Amino acid sequence: MADLNNIDIESLVKEVLKSVLNNRDAGDRSGIGVADYPLGKKMPGLIKTPTGKSLDDITLSSVMEGKIGSDDVRITAETLNLQAQIAEQVSRPQFARNLRRAAELTVIPDQRVLEIYNALRPYRSTKDELLAIADELEDKYQAKINAAMVRQAAEVYEKRNRLRK
Amino acid sequence: MRRSKRFEVLESRPVNQDGLVQEWPEVGLIAMNSPNDPVPGIRIQDGKIVELDGKPAEEFDMIDQFIADYAIDVSAAEKVMAMDSLEIARMLVDINYPREEIIKLTRGMTPAKIVDVVSHLNVVEMMMALQKMRARKTPSNQCHVTNLQDNPVLLAADAAEAAARGFDEMETTVAVVRYAPLNALSILVGSQTGRGGVITQCAIEEATELMLGMKGLTSYAETVSVYGTEQVFVDGDDTPWSKAFLASAYASRGLKMRFTSGTGSEVQMGYAEGKSMLYLETRCIMITKGAGVQGLQNGSISCIGIPGAVPSGIRAVLAENLITTMLDLEVASGNDQTFSHSDIRRTARMLMQMLPGTDFIFSGYSAVPNYDNMFAGSNFDCEDFDDYLLLQRDLMVDGGLRPVKEDEIIAVRNKAARALQAVFKELGLPLISDEEVEAATYAHGSKDIVKRNVVEDLKAAEELMKSKITGIDVVKALAKNNFNDVAENLLNLLKQRVSGDYLHTSAIFDKSFNVLSAVNNPNDYRGPGTGYRLSKDRWEEIKNIERALSPEKLGV
Repeated sequence: MADLNNIDIESLVKEVLKSVLNNRDAGDRSGIGVADYPLGKKMPGLIKTPTGKSLDDITLSSVMEGKIGSDDVRITAETLNLQAQIAEQVSRPQFARNLRRAAELTVIPDQRVLEIYNALRPYRSTKDELLAIADELEDKYQAKINAAMVRQAAEVYEKRNRLRK
Repeated sequence: MRRSKRFEVLESRPVNQDGLVQEWPEVGLIAMNSPNDPVPGIRIQDGKIVELDGKPAEEFDMIDQFIADYAIDVSAAEKVMAMDSLEIARMLVDINYPREEIIKLTRGMTPAKIVDVVSHLNVVEMMMALQKMRARKTPSNQCHVTNLQDNPVLLAADAAEAAARGFDEMETTVAVVRYAPLNALSILVGSQTGRGGVITQCAIEEATELMLGMKGLTSYAETVSVYGTEQVFVDGDDTPWSKAFLASAYASRGLKMRFTSGTGSEVQMGYAEGKSMLYLETRCIMITKGAGVQGLQNGSISCIGIPGAVPSGIRAVLAENLITTMLDLEVASGNDQTFSHSDIRRTARMLMQMLPGTDFIFSGYSAVPNYDNMFAGSNFDCEDFDDYLLLQRDLMVDGGLRPVKEDEIIAVRNKAARALQAVFKELGLPLISDEEVEAATYAHGSKDIVKRNVVEDLKAAEELMKSKITGIDVVKALAKNNFNDVAENLLNLLKQRVSGDYLHTSAIFDKSFNVLSAVNNPNDYRGPGTGYRLSKDRWEEIKNIERALSPEKLGV
């Protein structure tokens, strides 16, 4: 018992929490929480554009000088995963999952995202076509959660007769 | 029969032009508690739902499947499903049960259970519950900005005025579909002239709407409809899976979005399966939850005539707003379509959301005259601004709007029209003349403006859609023409999609681009003295209607 008293309980708890957060998703940074929100104001150092720029780099003068273009005002997978951690901390698991799916989609070109959406609409695709999209998501873009959802859609559409005839 | 003069007078009253219908459960013309609604129930095996509200998994349609897989927390389900619905209903109105405690329960409930709980509440109790359950502490408001001619100059001026009047979100749509990119551009420039940080959307076919967001011409989306029966969902050309993918697509571009649904849509589209409107709507709310979308626009929306025609229908509309908040979602609570010929009825319907406060009391207060509203009219129009401001003052309630002065509004309308004139010139769009600017500045609606060459505009709109022009080019065009403050606002808005803070539940921005959401501004209502209260400054603003007499004005 005496030994226990000597342990710094607070740092112990912090360590445990940190490892829990780390294990939740290997791609996430640790320790981000509600107190860090909004990230843009409180943790701007964690936010980068896909082109590697910081929020402070996005100014009117840098836009006028042509240093900032439309590719610089996009969100990254890392930022979405951080926001997903915050969503989990405020007990919104479904919303967090949406953000994690979104993180996977950041690397897919606009046009392909629109095409995949249209392919998921009723009667647009055969089962094989949907399964091919799932493979593409998984293999080409490492979009595992999205791939699983598309595979499930293929099953459900087949059962409910919503595939292209 | 000799007619009674009393009855003749009553007959001529506006309210008697409203359509009414008796309950007719077989076709779904029943607001709540249809005899065909399922009895609440759940069966879980090995962590999976194998029976939902009396239906075994083998018989699940797409919607049952989606709800069972994504919307219900099985670890919470058995406990809450065994609880007495009346007891939960009482917890909803009991200030000793905070919002978080209620949400721990609702996450395990089935659609039929949720309906069973709210069925115990009368409208005052529903309002009490809504006051506690809405996600964001500070209430807010959204408007429509459209016109009959899709006139860009008028759109910009009206958007600027609406922003100055206090709306935090703004929605446009089209009279002619191909005008969409120009309409989106016009309210974008107008809104950021009126007040930086207002977010805007353009309601149009789903894929096009996403494309406008990707181009940086809109900053959120809402017209992403979901339905409560599989047949209607498929007739709407989507499935829960396609809509869930779309939701992630928006977030992947850093864009806020919510879904849309509403009581009456399934009856209107002919496949209500004999279920009550509220039961079907609850399925929509749960699809939204399951898809991981942060919020929902509901409150019957474009189908309001249907619940409005049946007994207890407007109560059901309030109930659907309440259920949305009970599932921890942002609610943009309707009031956005012409509902009744009677000013009394349309006001009473609106008070159900205004008094408790919601994330967006209107999901489209018409900031333009009724004849210019391309969403088929709203429940309140720009002609009602002063009535609405007085309701805020009479009742000491924050409805999201502020009194304004005529010279302030003329100035901001003129500036927005000139800013758009500069943007059109820089981007090579059909020029806007000084006469057009002048007319839009002082206009009430599209009857007061200079007509444009529609063929030329449409050609330019199509080219704009195909071009590589994005929001960044609009920023440049503004700054080149000395609209630096508007350019800064627009750039700041685009910058928000990099950090993604406004993707969170119920997010809006103040004029300094501080995000206010259910994460950093959570509703902490626990009875009198808690939750959202008007600040001294805000109350001063609401109180001071210019034409009110004062000792100074009377020369005392």
